[in-house]
Amino acid sequence: MTEAALSLQEIVKTFPGVRALDSASLTLQPSEIHGLVGENGAGKSTIIKVLAGIYTPDSGQLRIAGQHIHPITPASVHDAGIRFIHQELHLVPHFTVAEAIFMGQELAGPFGLRKGQMRHRAEEFLHDRLGVTIHGNRLVRDLGTAERKLVQIARALIDGQAKVVVFDEPTAPLASAEVKTLMDAIFRLKQQEITILYVSHYLNEIMGICDRVTVFRNGRNVAVFDDVDDALGPKMISAMVGRDLDDIYPARTRSFAETVMTLDKLTGPGFEDVSLSLRKGEILGVAGLIGSGREELVDTLYGLARAKGGTLHLHGKRARIRTPSDAIAQGVVLVPRDRRNDGLVLPMTVGENITLATLDEDATFGVENRAHARTRAARKVSELDIRPANTGAIVRFLSGGNQQKVVLARWLARDADIFVLDEPTVGVDIGARAEIYSVVNRLAQDGAGVLVSSSDPGELIGLCDRILVMLRGRVVAELDPARQSMDDLIALSTGATNAPQGQEVPV
Amino acid sequence: MSMANSPPMKDRIRGIFVRFGFLLIFAGFVTFFAAWNPVFLQGQNMLNIVEGSAVLLILALGMTLIVATGGIDLSVGIALDFGAAFAIVAMKEYDAGWVTAACAGVAGGSLVGIMNAILVVGLRVSPFMATIGTFFIGSSVQRIFTNGGGPISHRRMPDGFREIAMGDVMGIPLEVIIAATLALVYFVVLEMSVWGRRVHAMGMQRPAAIVAGIPVSRILIVAYIVAAATCAVAGLIGAASIRMFTPLAGFSYLLDAIAAVFIGAALHPRGRPNVLGTVAGVLFLGIVTNGLNLMGLNFNTKDALSGIILVAALALAVAQRKLR
Repeated sequence: MTEAALSLQEIVKTFPGVRALDSASLTLQPSEIHGLVGENGAGKSTIIKVLAGIYTPDSGQLRIAGQHIHPITPASVHDAGIRFIHQELHLVPHFTVAEAIFMGQELAGPFGLRKGQMRHRAEEFLHDRLGVTIHGNRLVRDLGTAERKLVQIARALIDGQAKVVVFDEPTAPLASAEVKTLMDAIFRLKQQEITILYVSHYLNEIMGICDRVTVFRNGRNVAVFDDVDDALGPKMISAMVGRDLDDIYPARTRSFAETVMTLDKLTGPGFEDVSLSLRKGEILGVAGLIGSGREELVDTLYGLARAKGGTLHLHGKRARIRTPSDAIAQGVVLVPRDRRNDGLVLPMTVGENITLATLDEDATFGVENRAHARTRAARKVSELDIRPANTGAIVRFLSGGNQQKVVLARWLARDADIFVLDEPTVGVDIGARAEIYSVVNRLAQDGAGVLVSSSDPGELIGLCDRILVMLRGRVVAELDPARQSMDDLIALSTGATNAPQGQEVPV
Repeated sequence: MSMANSPPMKDRIRGIFVRFGFLLIFAGFVTFFAAWNPVFLQGQNMLNIVEGSAVLLILALGMTLIVATGGIDLSVGIALDFGAAFAIVAMKEYDAGWVTAACAGVAGGSLVGIMNAILVVGLRVSPFMATIGTFFIGSSVQRIFTNGGGPISHRRMPDGFREIAMGDVMGIPLEVIIAATLALVYFVVLEMSVWGRRVHAMGMQRPAAIVAGIPVSRILIVAYIVAAATCAVAGLIGAASIRMFTPLAGFSYLLDAIAAVFIGAALHPRGRPNVLGTVAGVLFLGIVTNGLNLMGLNFNTKDALSGIILVAALALAVAQRKLR
């Protein structure tokens, strides 16, 4: 047995009233990619912060390549070769790539900064070590999200001293097409004999990239899986939630009534001739890769983008949606894909966010009736089991799942009848996902038409009654989740197979 | 659990500081100035402070509204100048009565807001650049109109107009009453109404406000015009008190108005611009200026001292918020 690259042993960390880590251990073998999974609150981020020297553990020890590290401080772990790729980018948007990578570790000579050398070294590092070509003089703000992530990685590793790299939810801000670029870079690092700890909510990524996986629950390691195979997914989930979770999706027991929304050859920025119909009580899925026009279609339905042709009927009547307020007035509401930017006013409270679209109903002559609003918000908070169950909590500090419930709660408070959900469970852990699915199911049962746009094939197959697949701006297929599988969906949305019924789909 | 019920002494002292920190600083200054010169505490001097703060408060209210929308208004002084100019010209050239003159002043000031609204909403210029543009244009217009910046005086203005600055109700100067009324209206609109809630939401996070169905363009247009109209009222008071229009007089209030709004935001538990905070900020600036005046410091030293006091008070207010 070789010496472990990193081992945290029996770490205990308590906060007033909470035992965040309860004798938790984590061992990484040299040059492996080790997955760390667990629900929110399982202790993942706490143990990362202990490892980073941000929290001092009450007891337990850290060994790096056999060397006992004590005390654990940001400086001592840095010296021992541990690097962190945090979820947030912490890059200056106006800097060039080279400047961003060398920020705080600039190369300088007797005549000042060695700009050319820094640019050269930055480009070389990105190319040789991470496998991407990015010009060193480009501005950070002009880069795509995946490229920024790579620049962030380069910044942490450019000194060449890294032995263990910790990735904390690296793909959370990435579109699914960009994830592969990042995965390739991580594989390359592994080949350069760097040990990787990979923390993520996305179990498919974990299965795709990791050699071994540790599962955390209630502040301790409950399972370590050495074999990454197809059976791992269910095994990880049951270890995470502490019980078997056969199906996080609600049973399909919905019945459909009349059509509430019809699109006839709707054309807009990035999509063409999209026809579809949505019935009361139905959950209609829209699948498609980035660039398939799926996002633009959603934006157009909500008045965030303008249709160029075709018609839209709501409740059997010709309708126009030019702005979000038009949409809301006609009963169409949106749960946006970028929750933290578009869905919530982060510095506001849970209550303020929930009542933002119903302000007029709780007001007399334009003056708010705070008590009414608070009651309304509190009712939704308990209905959706939003935690903390406190309308005064600032939304910024809620977990992804609870934030998403706040967005849903706002629209539930409004009696809308067409719900457009764009990536409804991005960055939401598995327990909260099941809860969100059951809310969506209840919505449909209560007679709303629901349109779910998602990049997660499992979610679409599990949740929807029908799925439309978009490719290059057009609807190329309609899929029946009861008879067709995730593989069919992926094949159709990547253009690997053609639609069984040809290019046009009769609606 | 017992830990949670009886916080240690240190936390309790900290708690008191958190809740009353700025009040303590405030009280400290008042005591200091009073000890230096007993005149400071006399009723007449207090009244002077309040009266001297009225114009700044009105401007700062308009500024609070714009900052709450997520912007900034560098043209508040221009709106003030236009308010004064239109009123004086209406009376001098067109023999307008005081009501007509006041209305003309407010309408004239609103032109500045309309200009800002066109730039910010119509042409999507950033508020900083848009209002700086309005500021340059407005300054130039005044110089051209007055042939280089000479004041337009109007000694025989109607008594009604003169009263705006000189009148009083039961000993309280009318300009103080006007400023207080506007502050009350702003408080109701910005802190209690649906419209105000929407203003704050869009100011904090515009994209989320748009998705929530808030008509941000309409709100911005109204906000810029209302803010400019408010500043024009300050111009009426100025014109009534010196019986003339002095071009570019409004500029001197700009930095104080910004300071007052940001002092107010720093005092707010969540750092939002707010009406009560702005009132506190204006009074704080008024007290410091008046107190330093009474200390008989020379003009040059005084500015440095107010700067130091301002920065120190803000640093404390921010530290206080972090403790929460």
